[in-house]
Amino acid sequence: MKLLTRYNRVNLVTTIVVMLITGFIYYQAISLILTKQLDKDLVVEENEVFEYVNLNHQLPQVFESNDQQITFTSADPGSVTRHFLNTVYRNKRDDDDHPRKHRHRHEEYESGRGLISSVTVGNKYYQILIVESKVETEDLIQIIFGITAGLILLLLIILFVTNRLLLNRLWQPFYNLLKELRLFNVADSKDIPVVNTTIDEFEELNQAIISMSSRVKSDYKDLKTFTENASHELLTPIAVINSKLDTLIQTDNFSQQQSKLLNDLYSAVSRLTRLNQSLLLLVKIENRLLEDGQLINLRESVEEMLIQFEEIFQDKELKTSSELADKELNASPYLVDILLNNLLSNAIRHNHKGGEIRIKLTNEELVIQNTGENIALENDYIFTRFHKSSGSEGSGLGLTISRQICENLGFTLDYDFEGSYHTFTVTF
Amino acid sequence: MKILIIEDERGLRESIEEYFMEAGNICETASSYPEAISKVNLYRYDCILLDITLPGGSGIEILKTLKENNYTDGVLIISAKNSLDDRLQGLDLGADDYLVKPFHLSELKARVSAIIRRKTFNGSNLLQFNELAIDLLAKTVKANNQQIKLTRKEYALLLYFIANKGKVVSKNAIAEHLWGDGIDMANNFDFIYSHIKNLRKKMIEAGSNDYIQASYGMGYKFTDE
Repeated sequence: MKLLTRYNRVNLVTTIVVMLITGFIYYQAISLILTKQLDKDLVVEENEVFEYVNLNHQLPQVFESNDQQITFTSADPGSVTRHFLNTVYRNKRDDDDHPRKHRHRHEEYESGRGLISSVTVGNKYYQILIVESKVETEDLIQIIFGITAGLILLLLIILFVTNRLLLNRLWQPFYNLLKELRLFNVADSKDIPVVNTTIDEFEELNQAIISMSSRVKSDYKDLKTFTENASHELLTPIAVINSKLDTLIQTDNFSQQQSKLLNDLYSAVSRLTRLNQSLLLLVKIENRLLEDGQLINLRESVEEMLIQFEEIFQDKELKTSSELADKELNASPYLVDILLNNLLSNAIRHNHKGGEIRIKLTNEELVIQNTGENIALENDYIFTRFHKSSGSEGSGLGLTISRQICENLGFTLDYDFEGSYHTFTVTF
Repeated sequence: MKILIIEDERGLRESIEEYFMEAGNICETASSYPEAISKVNLYRYDCILLDITLPGGSGIEILKTLKENNYTDGVLIISAKNSLDDRLQGLDLGADDYLVKPFHLSELKARVSAIIRRKTFNGSNLLQFNELAIDLLAKTVKANNQQIKLTRKEYALLLYFIANKGKVVSKNAIAEHLWGDGIDMANNFDFIYSHIKNLRKKMIEAGSNDYIQASYGMGYKFTDE
């Protein structure tokens, strides 16, 4: 959920709840005030009745005004206690010349407010019931309430819209930062820029991100430098071992066992050498140190590579078929060479005797297919460093390097298992 | 031929010296920049094996000194740095070749031989080994004036053997020389065996002696002894 949505939701709910509560209180307050007003009117009316009785010693004429009814009923003396009550106001239906137009016009009953009082005329005791219609007060309340509700609604809408506009704008630096973070690449030389904002929090966030990214970058650089230096430092002792082995085999008379040991040593040293060179190469590719772009005809490169591997194909009795179109690339010939070499070496190494290798080059892609173990490889793992199949003599870096080269050149390298062919596709 | 080995790593320096030491060869060594620069200023060599990172200075400076004085010694840079810039800078400054550590001594020998051949024969492209005559320009081989038809790899193999005559050359070294260091099918050297078998057969058929001897399953030796 977006922060804005969440904020709006909370904001809306609390505003509505608060508004409802205040609305209720407001309603109660207004109706209380208006009821008091009505009660005053009723008392005025009562006093008029008392004055009339005092003056004329008889009950006044019962008249009916539009909103008022007074009824007198005889009662036992002392049985009536004076009190106000909510009651029903009976409106005459045929009262056509009613000056006011309201909803209750044709209804017989309206809510009303009444006052029960008593008066003694002569020796007769009367109960007075004065009822006043509440319609007008209720109408008033409704109007007030309506206006208030309208205002509340308007306020809510305005709040909602301004929040939306304002918050979106306020959060813009945050979104900008987010975009920069998404684009952040530790191997990239590009730094995270300073986002233009006057808000302290975002400024702090920006500063924190900038310092973090530069720290990460320098750590990463240190690590790479370390890898490079370590590999370099290893080269000299390996060179010494290699040269000593070369010197050792010049001495005469080896037993079969000794020569086997020497052969194993040679293999191990040459693997060590290749591993080391692969590591150095990977660092260089990641550092983009090998970007001497030249126009290369990929078809020619592939053909050369096929000639280079010819004897190995023959030795493993591999059938090769190729379908090559002209494809020109602007890339480092060194990198392209390594890429082709790696992919073809893999196709040979993981093949079985008498297997098949198919190469197809079009303007869009280079596809290298080979037979081998009839199980698909795990796409996620084969490109990771030092992942290799059991018994593989490779460094475990070949495909990592290949993919890195492809990334550098803006290509993609994918694996697929089609039919019984392991398929590596370079998409230009 | 006279060779100067400038290399600060004792183990490597001694191995190279030992490998190049043979009848008719003079090897001198230098283990630091001052030692190297004084030797370079005093004597001329057929080939200088030059390490770039030296105590007391850079091999590049030695290269510059050679160039400033118009000394025509052959120079082969042996460096642990396999960066393109270093390679180009070295070659620009007049180095004849560039070999990255680690390397096989036989590879080094072959490269040095090629440099010396280019320097000393001055246009003559004929390499003679007993009854074998190799035209380096036309890339043809004759035994007693009879043409031996070799494939590219067989030809390269023969040259490699001749440069390392009398030495045991390991199968690894041969594989790397012929297929580059990209080759890592080290567990299977059978294809080298068949190559050598073919080369031997062709040479013998053309009337040449059989110079190639297998050596304890580790490698091969090209010798007329």
